[in-house]
Amino acid sequence: MNTIDRYRTFAFVDRITEIEPGRRARGCFTVPATLHEFPACLVAEAIGQLAAWLAMAFDDFRHRPVAALAGEARVLGVAAPGHVIHLTVDADCCDRDRVAYSGRAQMRDAPLLELRRCLGAMLPLAEFDDPEAVRAHFATLTGPGAQPGGFPGCPPPHLETIAHTAGTRLRAVLHVPTDAPFFADHFPRRPVFPATLLLDAQIRLALDLAAEALAAPVATLLPSRITGLKQRAFIAPGQRVEIDVEQRAALTDGVTFSLRSAVDGKRTSSASVEIVRRADA
Amino acid sequence: MADDISREDVAAVYSAVAETVADALGCDREQIAADVSLIDGLGAESIDFLDIVFRLERQFAIKIPRGQIVDDARGALAEAEFERKGYVTDAGLRRLRAYLSEVPADRFPARMKVADIPRLFTVETFCKVVVRARRMTAS
Repeated sequence: MNTIDRYRTFAFVDRITEIEPGRRARGCFTVPATLHEFPACLVAEAIGQLAAWLAMAFDDFRHRPVAALAGEARVLGVAAPGHVIHLTVDADCCDRDRVAYSGRAQMRDAPLLELRRCLGAMLPLAEFDDPEAVRAHFATLTGPGAQPGGFPGCPPPHLETIAHTAGTRLRAVLHVPTDAPFFADHFPRRPVFPATLLLDAQIRLALDLAAEALAAPVATLLPSRITGLKQRAFIAPGQRVEIDVEQRAALTDGVTFSLRSAVDGKRTSSASVEIVRRADA
Repeated sequence: MADDISREDVAAVYSAVAETVADALGCDREQIAADVSLIDGLGAESIDFLDIVFRLERQFAIKIPRGQIVDDARGALAEAEFERKGYVTDAGLRRLRAYLSEVPADRFPARMKVADIPRLFTVETFCKVVVRARRMTAS
């Protein structure tokens, strides 16, 4: 499998159009027109992946960052399939131990998402992928670019509800598939369930609870802000992830939920999300 | 106190360090005490240390390289004299006790894994890290 075919199933940077390793990068990703939607969590994933390229290029592909924490993500728009997302990342610091960055995504000159105060720990790249294959793909991204349209979409995860108090709290188990296309990219030598897919599942549950709390259709609501996201442990294929979504506060026009997850009783992630009514609802 | 960090030096930064630790761990400020262990007392994990260190670096305009505390504790002792087969040697433990003078003596086990050294760290430990880093920056 050549590098162009290889990095397609969970890769959200088609081209890197500008890069100062360790400092700043710009890139783009074309959302496949065949997709029904492209959720905010995957827009955040795209920004994070551009940041990873920035850090890996600076470190000469010896280490790669893994998602650790994001202070804040502001959701400002919805990505439309068939259109290009323009990505920008600025690093506050970048060394062999960690990369701290902020980033943003735009589509057709309208903002989609802003990430602030993100921090990723740098781990040996060889644990996750072949460094030379990664280097070669970087050359593709900074050169002719990857062929767009490779991302096939992700099927919704298998969720099993454990307890549900309408509008207030929902506990469920997410059954991580033992095999899925995205594991080929994330990552070739160490399959890890993407933190952004876990977050997306949790936010969808929060939307359902918010709809109950606000007596409003889910389609009239959206996540506006995610704060304090910390990914504490890797989640492997086949694991059962206990998800806990609980209302924390009422907003002027929405609700705040805490999002927690654990595997075998050990915390794997934590965050908060604000769900508000759409302005056009 | 080890390496002439005074109580006044610690007190000067304690409030800001305690606030930073509380924010990073998502706990109430009232749960933070100078001698509380970040791992055993506050449930901190490695990602929280990453977060705390980064926040302190930005707040105080300092650099805290990874592993700094253990490297400083080891001092002039060669690595082979400080640890052996993953365990801290007797000489290493003496160095650790002297360097981490803010940690209650009964928290040092007789036989200690190197990987467990961070379990000793308290809020005051990080106050001293900040004080030392500020001195380094100023010099």
